Formats: sequence, C-alpha cells, structure tokens
Amino acid sequence: MKFNRIYALVLRFYYLFRHSWDRIGDAFYWPTIDLMIWGLTSTYFRSFAPDASQIILIVLSGHMFWLIVWRAQYEITVNLLEELWNRNMINIFVSPIKFSEWVTSFIIVGLSKAAMSFPFAMLVVYLAYKIEILFFSWYFIPIILLMFMTGWWVGFFVSGLILRFGTKVQTLAWTFAWLIGPFAAIYYPVSTLPGWAQTVALFVPASYVFEGAREIIYKGYTDPTKFYISFAVNLVYLVLSIAFLYSSYKKVLEKGLVKVY
Amino acid sequence: MSLPYFFERWVSGLFLQYAKIEFMDILKVNNLTKKFGKFTAVNNISFSLKEGEILGLLGPNGAGKTTTIQMLLGVLTPTQGEVKYFGKNLVDNREEILEKVNFSSTYTQLPWLLTVEENLKYSSYLYDIKNRDQRVKKLIEVFRLKKLVKEQMKDLSSGEVTRVNLTKAFINYPKVLLLDEPTASLDPETSDYIRKFLIRERNQFNVSIIWTSHNMAEVEEVCDRVVFINHGKIIADDTPEKLAKTIEICHVVLNVPDGLKRTIEVCENKKVDYKLKGRGIVIDLKEKDIPVFLHELMDRGVVYDQISIDKPTLEDYFLQVAPKKSKDEV
Repeated sequence: MKFNRIYALVLRFYYLFRHSWDRIGDAFYWPTIDLMIWGLTSTYFRSFAPDASQIILIVLSGHMFWLIVWRAQYEITVNLLEELWNRNMINIFVSPIKFSEWVTSFIIVGLSKAAMSFPFAMLVVYLAYKIEILFFSWYFIPIILLMFMTGWWVGFFVSGLILRFGTKVQTLAWTFAWLIGPFAAIYYPVSTLPGWAQTVALFVPASYVFEGAREIIYKGYTDPTKFYISFAVNLVYLVLSIAFLYSSYKKVLEKGLVKVY
Repeated sequence: MSLPYFFERWVSGLFLQYAKIEFMDILKVNNLTKKFGKFTAVNNISFSLKEGEILGLLGPNGAGKTTTIQMLLGVLTPTQGEVKYFGKNLVDNREEILEKVNFSSTYTQLPWLLTVEENLKYSSYLYDIKNRDQRVKKLIEVFRLKKLVKEQMKDLSSGEVTRVNLTKAFINYPKVLLLDEPTASLDPETSDYIRKFLIRERNQFNVSIIWTSHNMAEVEEVCDRVVFINHGKIIADDTPEKLAKTIEICHVVLNVPDGLKRTIEVCENKKVDYKLKGRGIVIDLKEKDIPVFLHELMDRGVVYDQISIDKPTLEDYFLQVAPKKSKDEV
C-alpha cells in the first residue's frame, strides 16, 4: 500500500466536506438534533419513573455509540455513492490505486469524521444533560472499537450491493444500519425482544456491546467475554464483507466501471 | 516541474526524435475480445502503438472504441486476449503501468463540488509525483486555467471541464495517453491550441497517444496512423493519407451561372452523385473521369466560372467505409 494514494482519496473527501453543507450537516446538525430529541424524551419518561435514574444515560450513551456505527458505515457507503453520482470511479481506477488502498481510505475518512462528530456529540450531551460518556472509563475503548467494526462491515456489505446494483439501491446507504438496529438492542435489553429476535440478536455483534454498556451503567463493570464475542463475530463479518465488496468490484470490471451508476 | 527532470525528458525526446531509432511497441494489444452476454462489442482485435506515435482510433458510434479504451485502462475485463504496456502484461503489472499512463474523456466528469485546483491537487497525490505544487502550477498555466483555479467544477462550461480533464491527464508526465475525443466541446481556437500542445508534447517527450475523435480533419492533422473499428472489428490500420487514397472519388465543385440544368442532365446520364449548392454543384467523380466529364459539359455549352477539385479525405473514407461495412456485416 502506498500512503500518497490513500492520502489522495482522504484529501478528495476532505475537500468535499469543506464544500458540502449536506456533509457538514451529517456530521454536526443531525447528531445534535437526535441527541436533543432522545434526551428530552428520556427525561420526560423518567418523570413517570423517578427510580429509573439511569434512563437518560442508557438512552443517550446507546444513541452516541450507535452514532459511531452510523458514521463509520455512512462514510463508506455515501462516499462510494459520491463517486458514482460524480461519475468519478473511472478517474480513480485509471490511476495506480489498489483496491486495498481505496478501502483503507474509506476507513480513514470514517475515523476522522467520527473523531470530529463524536466529541462534538459528547459536548452536546454534557452541556444539555450534564452526562459524561467518559463515565465508561477504560471500557470506552473496546466499545468504540467494536462499534467502528460493526460500522465498517455494514458499510462494506452495503457498498458491495451498491457496486453490483448501482444507485437504484442507494437508499440502503441510509437504511441498512437501521435494519440491524432493533436486534442490536441499542436502548433496551435483548430480553425485551421476542424469542426469535433474541436468536437473531445473538448474531448481531453490537447487541453484546450494548448489553455490556448497560451492565456498566448499572453495576460499574461487565463481563469482558461479551466484548470478546462481539469482536470475534465482528471480525468474521468484516472479513466476509470485504470479500463480498472485492467480488462486487471484480464483477463490476466485467461490465465496465463507467457503467455503474 | 523540476528542471533536471524536464531537461532529462526533453533530451531523451530529442534524442529519440533525431536518432531515427526504430521505436519499440509501447503498447501491444493481442486478440482482444469483449462480450456482453451474446453481444460481442470487441471482436478479436490486435494492434500496437509505437513510442512517440499518435494513433487515431476511429469508428462510428457503437463501433467498440470506448470499450477498447476501457480495456486498455484496466477498468473493463476482457473476455479474451491481452494488453501489454512496455512489454509487460497489464493485469499482472497494473500498478507499475498505470503510474505512466493517463486518460481523458469529454464524457467523464471530475468531482463537481471540488475546485479545479483541488481536483488537480488530489489527482497529483494519486501518482507519486515529485514537486507536485510546481507541476500543478505549470499545468494550470499551460492549459490556461489560471482564472478558473478557485472555481468549482459545477460552475465551469463544458469546454472548461474538458481542459481540466486534459490537465489531469498530464499530471503524471504520462508516457502513454488515452484521449477519448479530447477536443470535443472546445472552441476552434482552443482546439487548435490543444492539438498543437499535444503534438509538441509528443515531439519533445515522445509521449505515445491514442486519440479517438469524430473530427476527421483533426485526426488527419494529428495522427500518424489510424485504426478503424466497426462492429468490434478492425477494418483498416494505416496512415490517414493512405486510407484516404483508397477512395477514388473526388468532389468537383463548379459554380455554374449558365447551364445548371444541363449539368444535372449530364450527371444523371452518367449516373454520378451530385449535390446542389445555390448556383453551384458538387459532383462526385473518379479522378480519371474528370477530364471527360468537363469536356462533355463544354460540348453542351455549360459555362462555369469557378472550379475546385477536392481530393478524398479521411472523412470520405469514413463516410464510405463505415456504412458499407455495416450493411455487409448486419
């Protein structure tokens, strides 16, 4: 892998970010709105059950961690769509760039955008509700890492679908993550789900993380096995999703890169 | 551009130009075929491009030119055959080869929210270029983009977009350039400037160029050799002059103040094609038949005060060969 080529694509998306109000809105405006709505809703619910003092922390931390999944997958899929909308794929791939460099650049862009919007969301939560997400202490690191991993494999899988079927399936870029959202048990315990959905949740690595996070909120600690399982399942999905994306890329070369849009 | 690098390229170009060395094949295409389902877009074509050569890739719409170019760039997998640059297979040496190749097409776009400068800057990082700021600055000058550097692509005219595309294509000091209709949508003055620039680049730095265009006069001016594709097959591979010479028909243009009707009668008797233009007439004749035809007009008392004889051009070749071959092959 060559750094200059990865940097080229990161730079291309940085320039886009500077010029696009949509992308700036995605990074700051929507997370703020979401956090305000969810924060106020959970404050209202707490007024019915004063004993459930942790409800705001559970909802808002769940939402913030999900924000990482969202950002990581969104940067991969929407940046791919950006290339398709701009008919720029051919300009990228007539250069010596490798598939691995292209994929790496998406990961870096996702990481850097999350590095901007997550601290911003933390600040919003702190200012509005006096909640410190850093309350999770060292657990914070594996939680963030596992959320990123989930975002990446979702992003790569959806990108593979977009490469194969073009922009007619572009809506998946915004909706697919929410398809696994109910099974990830972001705001409620897995036990709340119906039986069949609990089985599905076993295969959703984010569900272990959210279960662990809630345990930390209630008890101050969690069994790290949850995180190990989540890591293993995430890793399998990540490898499979990259393989799927690569096979979609090869498939696209069969019909020609310029014909994908 | 650093002076030593520029100097090295310039000297090597001069050396190759004047030493009259038999240039090597810089690109070799062997039995290239592309099928989309049952449809064969490119059918077993082979050709080569020599160092410093400008090769025209011609053919009617849908002939297979763009499909061929995509396979030459590695963005479309051939069904069969191979593409070799600098003696190396494109599939196995993609990264190394594409460092020295570039492409520009009127029909592809660059990210439209980025400015001209940003597009060139990020493109310069895609290739491992030394002194990239100087390179971008130099190309902005050469392609007359100084006033546009801060403009977003979405605000440019199609001609300006074409110029930016061409600028991008030169960012990596390419040894091989694939240009898909490089002057389409440019005004005549800019087209002429770009053509001269490309010829100068070839002369100085021995750049090899594949050029597709529907402007036959341009192809005749610029290309050393022409590969003519129709229905995915190569039907001619020669110099523009030799291809034009295969057409025997000349256009005889007469201005006839008195006797236009009689001239038409002569054309119809002899079953030759003609077109009326005001008081003038354009008659398609074989070169050897012209004296006899003019003599007959004189015998019938036709008076013409102006005459010009246009020799066949590449356009005549294109017009004659392309539809004929289509009918034969359908």
